[in-house]
Amino acid sequence: MSIETSESDSERPVREISLTVNGETVSAEVEPRLKLSDFLRNYRDLRSVRVGCEHGVCGACTVSMDDAVVKSCLVYAVQADGSDLLTVEGLADDGELGPVQQAFHEEHALQCGFCTSGFVMATRSLLKETDHPTDEAIQAGLADNICRCTGYQNIYDAVHRAAEYTQEDED
Amino acid sequence: MSGTGTDARPESHPDAGDEGETFTGTGLERIEDRRILTGEAQYIHDITPEDCLHMALLRTTHAHARIESIDTSAAENHPDCELVLTSEDLQAEYHPMPCGLKGFEEWSLAVDTVRFVGEPVAAVVATDRYVAEDIIDEIDVAYETLDPVVDPLDALEDETIIHDDIGTNVPDGEEFVFGAVDEAFSEADTVIEREYSWGRISGVPLETAGVVAEYDPDADSFHIDCNIQLHTLVDDTVYETLGYPPERVVLDVPADVGGSFGTKIAIHRYCSLAAMASQQLDGRPVKFVEDRVENLQGGDMHSTQREYSVRLACDDDGTIRGLDVQFVDDFGAWPRYPVNQTLKPLSVLTDSYDIQDVRYRYDLVMTNKTSQTAYRGFGVPPHLYAIEMIVDEAARELGIDPVSFRQQNLIEPDAMPYEIPSHNIYDSGDYPAALNHLRDHVEATERVDGGLLDPETIEAQRADGRYRGVSYTLHIEPGVSGSDWTDRQRSDREALATRDRDAVNELPEHLRAEITEDGTVRAFLAADSSGQGHQTLVTQLLADELEILPSDIEVEYLDSGAAPTVYGSAASRMAVMLSGATQGLGERMQSNLCQLAAEEWDLDLDTVSYRDGAVERIDTNERLALSDLVAIDVANRSEGERLTRARYDYDHPATTREAFDTALTAKYPVYPTAAFAVNAPIVEVDTKTGEVDILKFYTLRDCGTQLNPVIVEGQAHGGIAQGIGAALMEEFGYDESGQPQAVTFFDYLLPSIKNVPNIEMQHSETPSPFTATGAKGTGEGGMIDAPASIASSINQALEPLDVVADRIPMTPNRLRRRIREAEATNDQ
Ligand code: FES
Ligand code: FES
Repeated sequence: MSIETSESDSERPVREISLTVNGETVSAEVEPRLKLSDFLRNYRDLRSVRVGCEHGVCGACTVSMDDAVVKSCLVYAVQADGSDLLTVEGLADDGELGPVQQAFHEEHALQCGFCTSGFVMATRSLLKETDHPTDEAIQAGLADNICRCTGYQNIYDAVHRAAEYTQEDED
Repeated sequence: MSGTGTDARPESHPDAGDEGETFTGTGLERIEDRRILTGEAQYIHDITPEDCLHMALLRTTHAHARIESIDTSAAENHPDCELVLTSEDLQAEYHPMPCGLKGFEEWSLAVDTVRFVGEPVAAVVATDRYVAEDIIDEIDVAYETLDPVVDPLDALEDETIIHDDIGTNVPDGEEFVFGAVDEAFSEADTVIEREYSWGRISGVPLETAGVVAEYDPDADSFHIDCNIQLHTLVDDTVYETLGYPPERVVLDVPADVGGSFGTKIAIHRYCSLAAMASQQLDGRPVKFVEDRVENLQGGDMHSTQREYSVRLACDDDGTIRGLDVQFVDDFGAWPRYPVNQTLKPLSVLTDSYDIQDVRYRYDLVMTNKTSQTAYRGFGVPPHLYAIEMIVDEAARELGIDPVSFRQQNLIEPDAMPYEIPSHNIYDSGDYPAALNHLRDHVEATERVDGGLLDPETIEAQRADGRYRGVSYTLHIEPGVSGSDWTDRQRSDREALATRDRDAVNELPEHLRAEITEDGTVRAFLAADSSGQGHQTLVTQLLADELEILPSDIEVEYLDSGAAPTVYGSAASRMAVMLSGATQGLGERMQSNLCQLAAEEWDLDLDTVSYRDGAVERIDTNERLALSDLVAIDVANRSEGERLTRARYDYDHPATTREAFDTALTAKYPVYPTAAFAVNAPIVEVDTKTGEVDILKFYTLRDCGTQLNPVIVEGQAHGGIAQGIGAALMEEFGYDESGQPQAVTFFDYLLPSIKNVPNIEMQHSETPSPFTATGAKGTGEGGMIDAPASIASSINQALEPLDVVADRIPMTPNRLRRRIREAEATNDQ
């Protein structure tokens, strides 16, 4: 049963990466097979990055990478070398919820919350492209994320409200 | 698409409490949200103690095979390997997992035989999950494959037996006869008889199961963080497996759980295995997080799969005389914990219809598939589906408009409270009025020029092969499960006939609170939650009870060691039970505080009163605030006697009502609240592709008093979304050799924002006369009623083609096949 092992781990290849996460520059030695989602969660303790499927369907792990939304479970950490990453932890301003977060809160667009970071990141990106998305645009923009609890009606409402808040912020 | 029929919208925390302001019944914004929205929430996946090791499981790829040998030497020689466990190790020191039925011996790792693809055969613990999975590949298992049994109807034949020691694939079954069924069927003018199938679906929460177990060698005890559901109720599945008394196996569930919907009550295998591993490693913490493929194929996470055979006896004038429901439920390889889902439909045996003579029979069969767990509705959704299907077909056969047919047979409001033949009692409601109301509303809105049901549009679409339809159905959501009945299947059924009322053992719901030094209140829940907003609910109710602000209350959770055994978050239960508990706790706390103040002032109890978060002397209006009272309490009383602490157990509402005695003593399912919903999904079926588009989903819902309308509505939206997935998309299919066909989210299709239509939701409030606050359970609605109503609308749309939705999920493939077959028959 229990096995005696030597202190030293087996030889596992590592690569050095350096990237920006929520404005902070970080360097690390990682295995080439390490997923970006695991890197962010386990090496950077960024809990907002959730893994629901690890095969690119649920969207819980969605983060922004060089201003594009990516599913971090489909990217290896080494592929993110040199890039600029943003997660939900980077959105709240001085403890104040950002506009998208605030809108999700007010519209009860979350229940268990496991999908929520992914929806927030996807919504943020959608609103960067479109000031006031139509329902069809919201459908297209959020179709890569699954929520198992909330249904989607409150999420539409949250996106519309977030659009208002984002506009107000910019005005 | 946005907007609902009501304006249930959250309200922010008011800064200062206006005099007399109440929070109950308002959509107080959720307390849980902030930590989730900022990434501060801590789900089980986020818990990794220092020095933590990681476990991975070797799972078999065979549906049915004998294990000839397991060679773990190469795995053990891997430099990063800390531990390998097989069933041999488990049998030496531990116990089998409790099973749902007597006689089965299921170990956490397969012993001798594997019975479903994905069944764990060995566990490996290593420094991280990546390498643990590498090491898994080094284990060599030799199998002798056996014939699998995949189809439940084949399994009934008992040709290949899955459990030799049990000797049959049908370890449980029962027939219930209420009233004079045979007479009803022989005397009725017509008997309609049909078959329906309900496919394997489940809750599939977005967060998979996870556990971090730590053995303490000094205390010889375990601390297990995990996301199990009902951690005070089902903790026996873990401590019995470990062979320890409950006080030495503490299960602790984080405040944030990423969905469960019932399914996570059966993750004890993982809890036990991680705990055993930690013990074998002298107390190093061991973490296991199930990945999605494991979850879908062999995570003990599937739910109900049924083959129905239903008969309805009717008279020509449209009176339903009798109902006969029989089904075979495919439980997979082991009768796991929630076997009672075959019985729960007895609590809504006749749905919303007044039918006195009913037969209900089930066979619970074993096949080579993953075992079942509970899922939102717990066996009721398929039952309501089967009933609505046969009612549709009866109306059609009798040539009566389906709405009139339903109206004619609905339970009348003056019959409330109404005892159904199986002895459960519906508390309140005016079903005919609710059905009429929604029907009139939808007809007036949509069957008009430019509406979705504009006759001209329907005609035009039909010419193009697209068939539109709507059906109006009313469904009961049985709420607030009792606990005693759930071991009916393990009880001597004859003895139940003469069981004493005093032998009934129901579980209450527990709540405790203490006032802290600064006068704020800390309350503690004994039940776990997974997104239902229990912290918010208790906060708003307690704020009203103690006449303070929600911001002065904090709600936390107790682990299984500190909490008494309660039933917990399941069975549409918490709003009713927690609101009852909060009310009782508030009263007790108020009287405690009055006593404290009276002693301090040396006054009679009736010369002080509690008002606005303080105790007041009636003569001088002098006040002692909560913080003062705590100081007095601390100064004068010992820890154990403090009056600024209180606890309350709210009894299950059925236990105090004699009317439930028949059901309680015989262990029939007792659900003392009957929330209900009228649904009217407008569907369009494309006959060329078989695709069903739900154009709009109308619903009118009644769950008694709404304690937080925003949360109520949220539950309904979520439930309906799951119901849509169940009706049209989701299924754990298996091929003939027992290989699972849905092992990723590419094959198990969950509804996305593209699949869920606009939902127009209305509410009515018929308070329950049975519960403390008038609330009825509402956690399972939507999933309970949407599949039946969608299938019924499909029937309506395809009536001209003579096609019915006889199978759930009604995937495009299946529907297309039905349409093709019907066309062939119609052409002949
Ligand atoms: S975890 Fe990355 S998409 Fe699901
Ligand atoms: S809130 Fe639970 S998955 Fe979206």
